[in-house]
Amino acid sequence: MIAVIIITSLCFVSVFISYVAFRKGFTKSADDYFVAGSSLGYFVLIFSLLASFLSAFSMFGMSSFGYRLGYGSLYVLTANLVPLGFLWYFMHKKTFLLGRARKWMTMGAPFGERYGTPMKIILVLVVLVASVPYVVAQIQGIGVMLEAMSDGIISFRLGLFFVPFFIAIYLMMGGMKGAAWVNAIQGVFFSIMVFVLFFFVMMKNGGFVPTMELVMAKHPNLFQIGWAGGKVWSYPMIFGMASAMALGCVCFPQPYMHAYSSRSVRGLKAMFLSFGGICLFVITMPTLIGVAGNVIVPGLKGVEADKIYGLVAAATMPDWLAALAVAGGFTAAMSTVNGLVFGNAVNLSLDVVKTIRPQTQPGEYITLARIFVAIIMAVCVWIAWNPTTPVAELSVIAFGTVAVTFFSLWGAYYWKRATAKGAILSTLSGVFMNVLFFVIGGKNMVLFPQKFMFQLNGFLASFIIAGIVFFVASWLTTPGKIEEKSLKLFFHPMLEK
Amino acid sequence: MSAEANKRKNLGFLIVFVVLTVLCWCPIGYGRYGEVDLIMGMPSWAFVLLVIGALLFILEWVYLFKTDLALYDRDVAEIVDALKKIDMEDTRS
Repeated sequence: MIAVIIITSLCFVSVFISYVAFRKGFTKSADDYFVAGSSLGYFVLIFSLLASFLSAFSMFGMSSFGYRLGYGSLYVLTANLVPLGFLWYFMHKKTFLLGRARKWMTMGAPFGERYGTPMKIILVLVVLVASVPYVVAQIQGIGVMLEAMSDGIISFRLGLFFVPFFIAIYLMMGGMKGAAWVNAIQGVFFSIMVFVLFFFVMMKNGGFVPTMELVMAKHPNLFQIGWAGGKVWSYPMIFGMASAMALGCVCFPQPYMHAYSSRSVRGLKAMFLSFGGICLFVITMPTLIGVAGNVIVPGLKGVEADKIYGLVAAATMPDWLAALAVAGGFTAAMSTVNGLVFGNAVNLSLDVVKTIRPQTQPGEYITLARIFVAIIMAVCVWIAWNPTTPVAELSVIAFGTVAVTFFSLWGAYYWKRATAKGAILSTLSGVFMNVLFFVIGGKNMVLFPQKFMFQLNGFLASFIIAGIVFFVASWLTTPGKIEEKSLKLFFHPMLEK
Repeated sequence: MSAEANKRKNLGFLIVFVVLTVLCWCPIGYGRYGEVDLIMGMPSWAFVLLVIGALLFILEWVYLFKTDLALYDRDVAEIVDALKKIDMEDTRS
């Protein structure tokens, strides 16, 4: 019951922060509501971006991964994300500069100006489709953990409504500024709580090294790569998952929205750099907590293992502290739902509705964005109703799907010969291949290396196909009027720096 | 510093970033299947992975904040003003 009280309190605090943003007038104009008037300083940026990506997946999912699959999980969301410091900088430096000059507010804007309206709309829809499994993963994680922590007082299905209801309220009220402040506070909170939980879990068996030696004695495979006859954490599997997560991060809406919202270049660079560095520490903790969980709460399988984070907290901490630790995981999930749902609602409102109905007034866009927030949230709760896939796998599928837009983005900023047809065909073929692999072979075909695809997993195969299609189609087609004219903006000599 | 020297430095950083990224995404050269030794309670390859991650982080920090290769706030106003002057009316979709 303490857990329920603490989590409910956190929800109310988040709503209150957004209410303050609403009352202070941070949501009056479209610019304020959608990109916080480009006013966010680097502290808020760093923790807001961090929190908008780190999620139920990074807390509950990674501990579940560590519990089931061991140390190889470190390649899914820790060191593999450090390259984002330079990847994000190279890919989104122009997003920041051109966004300032052109008053961009959505991730579709650069694609619209470089490739034209069809690509902009396709991108919005692809990102929406890719975001859904990730948001579902968060909501599912929240439901599972609420049920575990409240001893069944709040059932899984009631839990599906509980937190998303609060998120929808504070997103609709506070806009980007409210969301960023809520994210930042939640980010600081869960970063602290994961360290506290790590300390308690490791001290349960006399410290980190004794705990790991104990786990190794019982489950030596968790410390190996290429176990289960070379199937689990083989080199291709590691590379497939590590690259899917990092490349997916480049292509989700959050870095675009935060680039537009940044007050300064210093803040932008600090935000991009800090993300990987903080992940290296903060996400390693839940992964290792999961590994250690094997000697504290043994025997969990499949979706059940998603509860390990809460169960080891309950087994090693006083009730109130365990509740706070799990609440940290909740805030991580909330802030990700927040960031993704908001980004997609903005995309739909500004990129799709504005294109279809140009006479729409700025105030109406804000109302529409609020309606889209509610609709996306409702659809995700509906999908999460019957969970069949663990949180971690759902998240990797989402990142892998959105990563196919990588080439279109790179081409927009760095390849003059890129064409709209190349971008559209590349994106559609990448998504089509991902869906095809999922339909034919389920999540295993998307996530795990396949012999008939030269040991690539479905994601990497789709990603490579998208890349080949992009280059071949761009070479075979002629740049149209829009692509030609966009060159003077996207390749302006001043952007060389 | 000349543009040519900057280009060379940029290329150098890029090559190092790519190599370290590959190492962060796959245990080529420092991992092996099967039994493994522990370093500070972690498998040796996991320990090396975290060290490589930390090294890449430091190099990124140097590139972004300690060289003249990256963008700085003092450059932004001039760049944005130049971009604002471009007439893009015909290209709007």
